[in-house]
Amino acid sequence: MYEDASRGRCRAEGRRNSVEGMEITTSDLGLAARVQNLTKSYGAGENAVTALDGVSVGIRKGQFTAIMGPSGSGKSTLMHIMAGLDAPTGGRAWIGDTEITGLGDLDLTILRRRRVGFIFQAFNLVPTLDALGNILLPFELDGRRPTALERARIDALVERLGLGARLGHRPHELSGGQQQRVAIARALATAPELVFADEPTGNLDSRSGREVLELLSFASRDQGQSIAMVTHDAIAASHADRVLFLGDGRIVADHPRQSAEQIAAYMLAAEVAA
Amino acid sequence: MTAVAVVPESTATGPRLGWLRERGMGASILVAGLSAAFGVVLVEATVYIGDMLQADPYIGDSGTLAVVVAILSVLLIGMAMYVAAIVTANTFSTIIAGRTRRIALKRLIGASARSQRTEVAGQGLVVGAIGAIIGVVAGLVITAAGVWAADHLIAGAPEFSLAQPTILLPALGVALTTWAAAWVGSRRVLTVTPLQALGGSVDRTHEDAAARPTRHVGALLLGILGVALLVFGVLVGLTTPLGVVIAFVGGLLSFTGLSLGAVLVMPPLLRLVGRAFGRSATARLAAENALRYPERSSRMAIGVVMGVTLVTMFAVALESIKALLAQAAGGQLDPQFSIIMDAFAAVMMVLVGISAVIAGVGLVNLLTIGVVQRKRELGLLRAIGLSNGQVRRMILLEALHITITATATGLVLGIAYGWIAAQSLLGSVRMPPSFEQTAGLIVPAVPWIPVAIIVVATAVLTLVAAAAPTRLATRVAPVEALAVE
Repeated sequence: MYEDASRGRCRAEGRRNSVEGMEITTSDLGLAARVQNLTKSYGAGENAVTALDGVSVGIRKGQFTAIMGPSGSGKSTLMHIMAGLDAPTGGRAWIGDTEITGLGDLDLTILRRRRVGFIFQAFNLVPTLDALGNILLPFELDGRRPTALERARIDALVERLGLGARLGHRPHELSGGQQQRVAIARALATAPELVFADEPTGNLDSRSGREVLELLSFASRDQGQSIAMVTHDAIAASHADRVLFLGDGRIVADHPRQSAEQIAAYMLAAEVAA
Repeated sequence: MTAVAVVPESTATGPRLGWLRERGMGASILVAGLSAAFGVVLVEATVYIGDMLQADPYIGDSGTLAVVVAILSVLLIGMAMYVAAIVTANTFSTIIAGRTRRIALKRLIGASARSQRTEVAGQGLVVGAIGAIIGVVAGLVITAAGVWAADHLIAGAPEFSLAQPTILLPALGVALTTWAAAWVGSRRVLTVTPLQALGGSVDRTHEDAAARPTRHVGALLLGILGVALLVFGVLVGLTTPLGVVIAFVGGLLSFTGLSLGAVLVMPPLLRLVGRAFGRSATARLAAENALRYPERSSRMAIGVVMGVTLVTMFAVALESIKALLAQAAGGQLDPQFSIIMDAFAAVMMVLVGISAVIAGVGLVNLLTIGVVQRKRELGLLRAIGLSNGQVRRMILLEALHITITATATGLVLGIAYGWIAAQSLLGSVRMPPSFEQTAGLIVPAVPWIPVAIIVVATAVLTLVAAAAPTRLATRVAPVEALAVE
């Protein structure tokens, strides 16, 4: 199975490489973000660890993509580099049509603020700000107030996420599920080009987890929000339109929507083969 | 040391004194060292002045002046130790907040809460002892230099031996108060449950407000009684200089009330100053950070408030007295008297200023630990778009928030106390030209040099306080901070 997948990867790369010279843009490819030949290694010499080993992949616009893989497969590193949180050792990365590799810290920060949304596993919220303060934070960091249009979107989000009565609450007064919903509202509020979710259900009970996943797939289905979610949970990944598998720093499979059983079976087989 | 031995650090966690490298311990040693050195120098100076007075043929062996100097030293040393104790207790309680997980893990394995607390207090004793030793050495060096200078400057300086057994008193006092302060600051250990080691628990934003109504009522009563006595002292002072005695007691009570009730007084003031910073995201985050642990911030500020209040008080009181006496003398003050007054004021301001320095060390330390403990939150903020410049601004504003609040409060209180002192002492002085009317209510005279020094010192303190945490916070990559467990 690994063999098949890497052959598939080579074919895909070949296709992309053939148009390389024409300066084709990420959006021409229908992608919200992409990386090319990405490598990341830590340490040097004998102790060097390779987290990513020549990864080329794109996150399709308007889709909900799950990035799966066992611990140490490089999935979090891939997400961090794609989101402009970390710099690769080699290769290139784009968000929209902006190449982010080589951008300075300030440019990256502003890019994350305006064009990327984040949902982490835990500690998503600033504990000193109430729910609304957290949702509006990306705007305030940008030194502006939401426009009428953005305000309407936030109101709709708050309504849809059932946070209306909780806006004045501080994070420690909210349940884990409510905290994640506030984080979702914040991530979607700026209508970013891409939302990155890192194990967004990892700390939740199964019911709250399901709610969070339904909200994410709704956002992508209904509003065309591009979402990339890192997870090792087959049930979580089954909500996605597309499932990428990473193993040992490489993309080893790229599947369309699958059931949790199929995903789990694939993971099990990969585990046994390893 | 025995307390440390009860729950020995395992070889796996490093050397037995490895905890001394923990952030905050160094500053606690510095605080203990400063107050011990201050104590040693004052004790030596008191003995020296006593010897000098005895040698003086005019003052001779009337011991009154020597006793006054001795009482003054005891008061000053006591105050420095009190501020140092507040700072140390605060530091330890903050260090423990950061150790919660480790303590919970030990509790999970089977350590009792009590043994954990004893361990922390034992660390306090070690810190206090190290600080005391360093302080004694530093104090002796400073005294030796001072004696050497005096021998060359003053004709007929007395023979003086540095080996005064009484210098052991401040050293012992510092070691013991640091121990006690660590014990008080470690109260939190008792609230750590083994479950907290298992993770998943959400960070509490606000310290459990540990409502101790009795202490608050006590502080309030002291405050009210103190203010009443201050007013009474001013009124009595209009007819007799003895008003100053009543006002002195009032000042002592109200000041004690203030330091005990800091948690009641400081947060509203902090909030007020926070609002003045505007509505930008960084300003709001900074203002919220300064109020995140109201008790911690209040205690952090109150030491600075005390120092600034006392310095300002001496400055304003003496300036007002000078102004009033000049008026009473028909415009001109005896220049010799004026110089003596100024010198006395300067010496007193430097001496009480030491407490402000100790409080400043505590403030720098606490801000740094606070930022270190917020590493993950900083990572989150950086991820969602807080730039490094905004991080810098946020931390600077956070420091500024506390220093401005503390200094402004101290200046206002100091002017009030200083004015009351002058007013209650000299309100009954008869004034020219007829000498039938008394001075009545006077306007406080505020000397601008000490005020300017205080403002500059505040600015320096703010920059120093912001420097270390800023360096730590901007050096951290967001990914690294997000990975912190």
